[in-house]
Amino acid sequence: MSPRVASGGARLQRVLALVPWILEHPGVTLAELAERFEVDEAELELDLELLPMCGLPPYTADRLIDVYLGDDGAVSIRLAEYFERPLRLTPAEGVALVAAGRALLGVPGSDQDGPLATALAKLEDAVGARGGLAVHVDTADHLDRLREAAERGDQLEIDYYSSARDEMTTRVVDPVRVFHALGAWYLAAWCHRAQGDRLFRVDRVRALRPTGQRVETHGRDPEQGSSDDGELVYRPAPDDLRVRLRLAPEAAWVAESIPVEERIERARGRVDVVLAVSGRAFLERLLLSLGPAAEVLGPAEAKEIRATAARRVLARYEDAAGRRQGGDDDVGG
Amino acid sequence: MSERLERLVNLTATLLDTRRPLSLDELADRLEPSYPAEKAARRRAFERDKETMRELGIPVSVETIDGLGGEAGYRIHPNAYYLPELGLSGDELAALHVAVTAVQLEGSDARAGLRKLGGAEGAAAPQLAHLEVAPALPDCFDAVARRRRLEFEYRGDVRRLEPYGVVHKFGHWYVVGRDLDRDAPRAFRVDRIDGEPSLGEPGSFEPPPGTDPARYVRDDPLSYGEEPPVTATVLVAAARAALVVDQLGDDAVVERRDDGSIVVGLEVVNREAFRTWLLELLEHGEVLTPPELRGEVVDWLSVQAGGRS
Repeated sequence: MSPRVASGGARLQRVLALVPWILEHPGVTLAELAERFEVDEAELELDLELLPMCGLPPYTADRLIDVYLGDDGAVSIRLAEYFERPLRLTPAEGVALVAAGRALLGVPGSDQDGPLATALAKLEDAVGARGGLAVHVDTADHLDRLREAAERGDQLEIDYYSSARDEMTTRVVDPVRVFHALGAWYLAAWCHRAQGDRLFRVDRVRALRPTGQRVETHGRDPEQGSSDDGELVYRPAPDDLRVRLRLAPEAAWVAESIPVEERIERARGRVDVVLAVSGRAFLERLLLSLGPAAEVLGPAEAKEIRATAARRVLARYEDAAGRRQGGDDDVGG
Repeated sequence: MSERLERLVNLTATLLDTRRPLSLDELADRLEPSYPAEKAARRRAFERDKETMRELGIPVSVETIDGLGGEAGYRIHPNAYYLPELGLSGDELAALHVAVTAVQLEGSDARAGLRKLGGAEGAAAPQLAHLEVAPALPDCFDAVARRRRLEFEYRGDVRRLEPYGVVHKFGHWYVVGRDLDRDAPRAFRVDRIDGEPSLGEPGSFEPPPGTDPARYVRDDPLSYGEEPPVTATVLVAAARAALVVDQLGDDAVVERRDDGSIVVGLEVVNREAFRTWLLELLEHGEVLTPPELRGEVVDWLSVQAGGRS
């Protein structure tokens, strides 16, 4: 049940939700209860067998909970008035429900006056947090067309900016689904160029063209952990470059924000980490922006990547003519 | 196992039913299955039950019993226990079911909450969104809902806040409100709160009428900072111009050049955040003005280029 609750508590939690529902809906069937409370019938029967042993002191027949289970699976309960209402929502439950509802309502195209909106208003009023929680869901240029393509199974050719490699690419993809995570929209798709499942940030899709082909795989569950940019759920490959960094305390957040393969606390709040890096541009950005807060312990290749990137960016500042005359670089690689 | 569950159900029922606080001895006398006879073991078993109940949010109240030499007594006030009647229709319950299945909140209690409201009505939905849940988020939400002041450690400082709302934006949760020490509106990243926040008394403040918490989180992460503002201009190569315009908006563009490159203007109040933003562009971005900022970037990079200064 709730991830924070130990197993002894989990059943108590279910019983305290179950009993008020049965009291309010006498004759509800075991099958319906199992579905509603997301528990299998055998487990449910154990809960119902326990209840007649529960009640108030001195546990005489008139003080014990009376459970009636009919041959047709219909359940009724008596003598449990003190459990007539469910337990209040905890702050963790309240925030989770309101956040889920607000997030869904924030998705472009949601019905702002439908049952979700009215349910949220009632819920927020009950906990006292009307208007106190907002979830901002960005929209992106091609969001609607991508969602439609994923739903219908239209194959697409997309122009895509790959941040990890810092390059513009054109590729044919079979859309699987579109979803929002970590503050951005993603397209999960089979990428013909990479010959694998990939995740694409929708805001980095610069253009899209239907190829006219239909795909059969839309709506399936894509392989997780195969982000094109290593941003959502990056899974290191064996041949990815491993970089060992010593992070100063002000850069220790890196160890929390980026998946690291190793992490060793050092004296004075410093942390040593090992990162697996698939995209060179990702490492360049990370090192250049951390500056002196991150020392590259090895390998030499990573030190060289940092120095080369710094020189490449510096070259812009030294080459004033190129800047003024617009002799701009093209797509980098 | 089931004996303990039986006792937990009976303990909850007894504490809800009683009109006066009951001492541990009284509870042990009445309850079945009862607690161990030995005093220390009895206390341990009871404390464990009480802890389990509190984890579930059961409001076990500890009160002094009159006339028993100040001994502690326990009860559950029904008003604090019972969920108020929400009056949700079947459609509304089904809509919440869709929401908690479409929006996945990592490690959250959404489903346990839904069960209290009446369980899973109607069909589940395919997953559409994923939100992180920061450990301090429920406390922040509770503080907002019950108008309790918040005090927490944040990047080495203690901050005191009258929280007006929690807002999810840019993939992070923020708690926003009036910073009591700075007497100014502030937003804090909830995942950067160190340890558990402490919460003040309920009903300690009222947000100003018409407060919209979302407006406290500015659209541009670059605008977080308290340094004196400096206006910077940055040249962005053609290859990245469209991405930067998407990010900053058309208004930020101060010049469009024939080669497709653009110059954007932005206000810098946090040089570290600005530098991170700039270096995201790698060699496609260049600070033009002001000269100090340009110089700082050159120095920053020179150290890393090695062999130059």
